[in-house]
Amino acid sequence: MTTKASRREFLKTASALSIAGGATPWAINLASIGAAAAQTVPTDYKALVCIFMYGGNDHSNVIVPADNAGYQQYAQSRGALALAQNTLLPLTAPANASLTGRQVGMRAEMGQAFAATQVGLKGLYDAGRLAVLANVGTLRVPTTMTQYRARSVPLPPSLFSHNDQQTNWQASPTAREGTRIGWGGLIGDLFAASNQFQNFTCMSASGGSVFLSGRSTVQMQIGNNGAVQINALNNQTLFGGQNVGNSVRTIMTSDRAQTLEKDYNVINKRAADSAQALNTALNNATLVTTFPNSGLGTQLRNVARIIAARATLGQRRQVFHVSIGGFDQHSGLVAGHGPLWATISQAVGAFYAATVELGIADKVTLFTASDFGRTLNSNGDGSDHGWGAHHLAVGGAVKGGDVYGAFPTVMLGGPEDVGRGNLLPAQSVVQYAATMATWFGVPASNLATVVPGVESFSADLGFMNAS
Amino acid sequence: MKTERSTTRSLLIATAMSVLLAACGGGEKVSSNTNASAQATIPDDPGAVRFLSQASFGATTADIAQLKATGLEHWIDQQFNMSRSQTGTHMDYVKSQIPLPVPQGTAVTMDPLYHSFWRQAMLAPDQLRQRVTFALSQITVISAADTGLQDSPHTIASFLDILADNAFGNYRDILQAVSTHPAMGQYLTALGNRGDNGRTPDENYAREVMQLFTIGLFELNMDGTQKMANGAPVDTYDMDDIRGLAKVFTGWSWGNEGAADPSNGRFAGNPADPMRRVIPLQFYRQYHSPDAKVFLTANIAAGSDGVQAMRTALDTLFNHPNVAPFIGRQLIQRMVTSNPSAQYIQRVANAFATGRYTTAGGYYSVGSGQRGDLKATVAAVLLDTEARSAGSIIQDDWGKLREPVLRVAALMRAFEATSQSPGQQFRIGNIDNQMFETPMRSPSVFNFFRPGYVPPNTTLASKSLVAPEFQIANEVSVATYANTLQTWIPNGFGSTATGQTGPDIRIAATEARALASDVNKLVDHVSLLLTSNTMSTATRDSIRTAVGSIAATANNSAANRVNLALFMTMTSPDFLVQK
Repeated sequence: MTTKASRREFLKTASALSIAGGATPWAINLASIGAAAAQTVPTDYKALVCIFMYGGNDHSNVIVPADNAGYQQYAQSRGALALAQNTLLPLTAPANASLTGRQVGMRAEMGQAFAATQVGLKGLYDAGRLAVLANVGTLRVPTTMTQYRARSVPLPPSLFSHNDQQTNWQASPTAREGTRIGWGGLIGDLFAASNQFQNFTCMSASGGSVFLSGRSTVQMQIGNNGAVQINALNNQTLFGGQNVGNSVRTIMTSDRAQTLEKDYNVINKRAADSAQALNTALNNATLVTTFPNSGLGTQLRNVARIIAARATLGQRRQVFHVSIGGFDQHSGLVAGHGPLWATISQAVGAFYAATVELGIADKVTLFTASDFGRTLNSNGDGSDHGWGAHHLAVGGAVKGGDVYGAFPTVMLGGPEDVGRGNLLPAQSVVQYAATMATWFGVPASNLATVVPGVESFSADLGFMNAS
Repeated sequence: MKTERSTTRSLLIATAMSVLLAACGGGEKVSSNTNASAQATIPDDPGAVRFLSQASFGATTADIAQLKATGLEHWIDQQFNMSRSQTGTHMDYVKSQIPLPVPQGTAVTMDPLYHSFWRQAMLAPDQLRQRVTFALSQITVISAADTGLQDSPHTIASFLDILADNAFGNYRDILQAVSTHPAMGQYLTALGNRGDNGRTPDENYAREVMQLFTIGLFELNMDGTQKMANGAPVDTYDMDDIRGLAKVFTGWSWGNEGAADPSNGRFAGNPADPMRRVIPLQFYRQYHSPDAKVFLTANIAAGSDGVQAMRTALDTLFNHPNVAPFIGRQLIQRMVTSNPSAQYIQRVANAFATGRYTTAGGYYSVGSGQRGDLKATVAAVLLDTEARSAGSIIQDDWGKLREPVLRVAALMRAFEATSQSPGQQFRIGNIDNQMFETPMRSPSVFNFFRPGYVPPNTTLASKSLVAPEFQIANEVSVATYANTLQTWIPNGFGSTATGQTGPDIRIAATEARALASDVNKLVDHVSLLLTSNTMSTATRDSIRTAVGSIAATANNSAANRVNLALFMTMTSPDFLVQK
């Protein structure tokens, strides 16, 4: 059963895990987790929401040079993939020195809102609620082009590979597929004890990922209509029998010796213990904001409903994962990329509006992530796997209306080009993560635990207001 | 590489076959006449079910009897030699529902392709081919979910037929066929890829054919373990290899019937041959990269013929030492167990590499002797001592989570699912929302689940074990699975055919219903067919009690008892983990 969490409960859970995983390399450091949990029992509510764009977003057509000189370089490098200059939505970037004398713009679909009362990504930027993070990517240490060419510093493993770079973004700079712990889950470890339902600390509307898996925190999956209850467990007269539900519950949720059986029943048990409480709270929560009917819109609507139910559920800190696929556009990029951004713009605009409705816009931060950026030059009909990419952070606590980090020279053979216009990242994923983790309430002393690898970088990219 | 391969099999058992069939009906062990000390493997009932859960879409009473009569080796050999003609091809079936060329105004859905998959899983006697084909479809992946493929059940059927046709052939031929199939060309965007005039080729296929279809990311030993250098695994390729190989896959686009027409218009899609979705891609010299192609150990000279360049490239990949353990491990995982021992992987990899497999006692030997022989490889997967050992069953870490498609298939085969529709269409369509897995509809080229997936925060993870199928097991999918079964088992499932009423497919369970008055016999029967008698005492007791609570005299008691026994078994971890 999910019970009210207490510090004692938390320690018990952590201790049990420590025993279960005793000899493993990720054996829990009980003392530091316990100490951290004691330091960080917040009284307010905050949520982080990751939108993962699966496949590798073609960042070059998201934030685009809009001034004449920059656009010419961009257009020559991209060829048939280039967006028309007069379709771009120009951005002002008051504090970004790298853009002095230059201008960038969003692609047109980022102006789309779902409802008349909502604004899209461009509107959020203009309202100071969206920040652009320029050229973010996986790095182990700050890396110059000279160091990259000489391979004189360590690089993340399996660059350009989908599954490995997804994992690297979601976990740590040394991670590849098979890694079991992500930074969203590690944040969850710190804050689970502050939630009444620890199971609802890290929630995914988009399937399994390493992002939300901590040392002790397990992600909870939700479906298109919230949680799914196992009907038979409460049906004692199933197929005309007696006391059947209890027997089914025993079979499906009891502890097992066989390893795979054991782990399957653990999932059954989490579903059995949590679904009813979650759905009851969701059904009692009020949310008027309308969302687009897209997959992403549905996922974000469910996240907003859970946030709306935060008081009923007794939650103080939550990390969510949603996703949108279809970005691996080796082909059909010109026709296919815009609709994805229309979907994102509408869904994120609706989500932001929902947080305003709920009165917690400054307590919810949404951010984008993706496997990697893509090549600047064309393969004829699309772009191939790349590295650094531009990303977006949205919310009332974001110092929006600006571009953060050195905006690259968008040109083949430019100073950041590691081949085909792929970008050597100027800002690392761990800096991006640490900036948001700090806002979320992770103490500086725990930052390296939550965002492994951040110790090699300055930990604040400056795009979040103080918590 | 020869394109025609010898298909000679050394069949030590062939001469003994008729004798065996006559003599071993009682299930006693019979010595081969070629090796006095070697014996056919004659299973008991649970052993037969266990083997069939690995080698077919699920046990039936008839299959069990046959296995006990012939032994495993003869059954495998019969399966290797069984033609596909008995159920026809997937293309035959799809065409019977939607003609090709597709007549103007015809509504096209993917359903006939899905139906054909289930139809063959249910009706085809060549069960081993069916199961191996399904495994291969999860290695060289295309997907009906792709926006470019979703309008053509024919192209997916044609691709699946290639895998079925070559399931007992050679993996090199599969590589050739999938690399030149229009469905793969569309899916991984090599179709229409250009390397002329200094263009930068699309790198998609070059990357994934290496990472997923042949060699993987890291150098492997024959036992599947990673080679290490300075404490780190060794990358098999880098970006330069990908860019070199990408140049090979240029100049390939739509084929046409009749005399080859490698014209510029044809390359770009106009004119479009009405059969182009189901015939191989053709080569268009004018769009092929004239550059030298340097990758891995290959160095193809500038200006070389492009058709030969692709052969050389695929030969290079195929002959890489990684392929044997890389593919061998995945076939074991798809059929037998998630975490095979290094020795088991090595034995299968050796069969792949040498093209020959001989059972431990020497009773059965199979394979052409050519690298990549899938008969030798499949026999090695299924007849390995680790796969067959009864001791494996009781090891806590053995086995695999059954994937949803195999759970449904096991139910249907063991409990006599019938299809009401004309011609037995087995009208199961897209079941993503019920089962979270639809055959040939993976979410990406990375399949429904990854061979190296470790479910976080589990006992499996603490033991450093992988469990691919757990990638699609979460709070929503496990609950939805149980809720779906609660409806499907009593009411049936599958869409209703025109002129019919109710779900197309019903679980007849005639044999089980006949036993329903005796709770113990009923539960024993279900336990045998679905868990090869590995059901725990606790689960068995719970099911007996629950089933027994339905009075034998109540209305529909036989049906209700069977339905409850099936529901409780199929939601039990005893069934869900194939051992």
